[in-house]
Amino acid sequence: MDSAYAIETQDLTKVYTSRWTRREVRAIDGVSLQVRRGAVFGLLGPNGAGKTTFVKTLLSAVRPTHGTALIFGRDASQPESRRPIGYLPENHRFPTYFTGAGMLDFYAALSGVDASRRKKLIPEQLELVGLSQWASMRIGKYSKGMLQRLGLAQALIHSPTILILDEPTDGVDPVGRRQIRDILGGFEERGVTIFVNSHLLAEVETLCREVAILHKGKVALSGKMQDLTAGKGYRLTVANPPEALAEELRGRATSMAVRDGLVDFQFSSRELANGAMDLLRAERCEIEALAPTTSTLEEVFVRTVSK
Amino acid sequence: MVTIALIRDTFREALARKIFWVLFGLSTLLILFFLFLLRIDIVAGASATVSLFGRETNANPNVDRLVRGVYGGIATFLYTWGMFLAVFASSGLVPSILEPGRIELLLSKPLSRTHILLGRFAGNVLVVLLNTTYLVLGVWTILGVKTGIWSPAFLISIATTTFVFAVLLAVVVLIGVWLESAAAATMITVALMIISPILAQTSLMMRLLSSEWSRNLWRVLYYSLPKVYELGKMTLDAIQSRTFAGYAPIWSSALFGAVALGAALAIFARRDF
Repeated sequence: MDSAYAIETQDLTKVYTSRWTRREVRAIDGVSLQVRRGAVFGLLGPNGAGKTTFVKTLLSAVRPTHGTALIFGRDASQPESRRPIGYLPENHRFPTYFTGAGMLDFYAALSGVDASRRKKLIPEQLELVGLSQWASMRIGKYSKGMLQRLGLAQALIHSPTILILDEPTDGVDPVGRRQIRDILGGFEERGVTIFVNSHLLAEVETLCREVAILHKGKVALSGKMQDLTAGKGYRLTVANPPEALAEELRGRATSMAVRDGLVDFQFSSRELANGAMDLLRAERCEIEALAPTTSTLEEVFVRTVSK
Repeated sequence: MVTIALIRDTFREALARKIFWVLFGLSTLLILFFLFLLRIDIVAGASATVSLFGRETNANPNVDRLVRGVYGGIATFLYTWGMFLAVFASSGLVPSILEPGRIELLLSKPLSRTHILLGRFAGNVLVVLLNTTYLVLGVWTILGVKTGIWSPAFLISIATTTFVFAVLLAVVVLIGVWLESAAAATMITVALMIISPILAQTSLMMRLLSSEWSRNLWRVLYYSLPKVYELGKMTLDAIQSRTFAGYAPIWSSALFGAVALGAALAIFARRDF
């Protein structure tokens, strides 16, 4: 448990072979990824990129064909490596014969929480996810959003040090989504590693500090969110520039937009922005603002998977 | 704690399935039948008058033979319909935990796959053990009180019925893990039950079969498959205080069950979900 990384994979590969035709599909292909302790990490990728297979290898639900997966330095195939994990699966199918409290009791027991602690923790967790009043109702009657919140409570009940969440806000209304983000924020402050697998880019952008994009089974891009979305260029806003100068700057800029007497020029580099400012100063023009611009995660994602 | 949680979960799921309540209801009906409808008056110690639905029967049977006959009937019921219903009810309990969205969550917990499957197996056996104990002990107590005859041999049927069920459940688990189909698990297991009395006619078949290879095939099938029929017959012999040939059906069936369960565990341990 002394590894600097909560998750560490080395050349992780999973090849599925068709039983009859022997055709091979490489679901993940040499994935090497490190997730620091305490990081909030998002795993992105288009459908079929291998995200779910990657998560399942971390949980040992899928055995890798090649490579290693470590959880806090421990081989993911060992049952004990899963003790610090709180997991919320995508498309979960909780047994409908459980009540909300009964389900938490069962999964907490499997996670090694003793009976007296379960008795204390279950009402607390139900309160945390806003399901206290439905504790004794059979979960067959729960809505999708309620099931998602119960699933989250199930993942949190044994005080895990790493949360692996597969589409955590799937089916949850905007208020519930905000609530889940707040809960996860609290866990981030406590140093819990949060690993989110999601296709909701805005959600990941809000929640995560680091991301990796899987594409065709390989890591196509990874890094800190601010680094990946930074460096697109600079936006220079000018008040009523002379027409000739505006035309000249339009030629140097990647784009120009006019709004309420102000003109926005988008420059691709700092040098171009500085050159434009020199020209504007020489013409005694009013510069309203100069700001670095960033890409959205969606832009980064589309650029990456379109290559 | 984890094992108890797995067993309790199997109990919960079993109770959520109506077929287990049917099994329990049938047992209760039988107990109520002996409690209220069958009246036995002991006359001169060894003979009795028997009344059914309030009407006396013409027979004046030996009470010991009568009680042993009833025990034999109950044991036969357990062996045929009881066993079939138990297999049918249990056939979905393994495929259900393999459903996508459920198995991943179980596997994410800090316990081995062997532990998960054995927990489910043990829970299932316990459900049937409790139901069998309820029926056998209930009938035994009622007949004991009514006749004064307390024949402990009948209680053996709790152990033999549960044992045979455990052997057949190993097949259910193997097919369930392998094919993830409750229907296939039921069909194959019931086929084993049906084929058992046919395979038990070994000495007759050795005379009827003309070629050596067909006789060898018969022997392989006979010695390798569980001996449901012979174990049932052994139970009846024990109840009727008759001697039986030997214990080979017990250990050979146990061996078959152990191999089937071992194969199920091996397949489960290697599968991707």
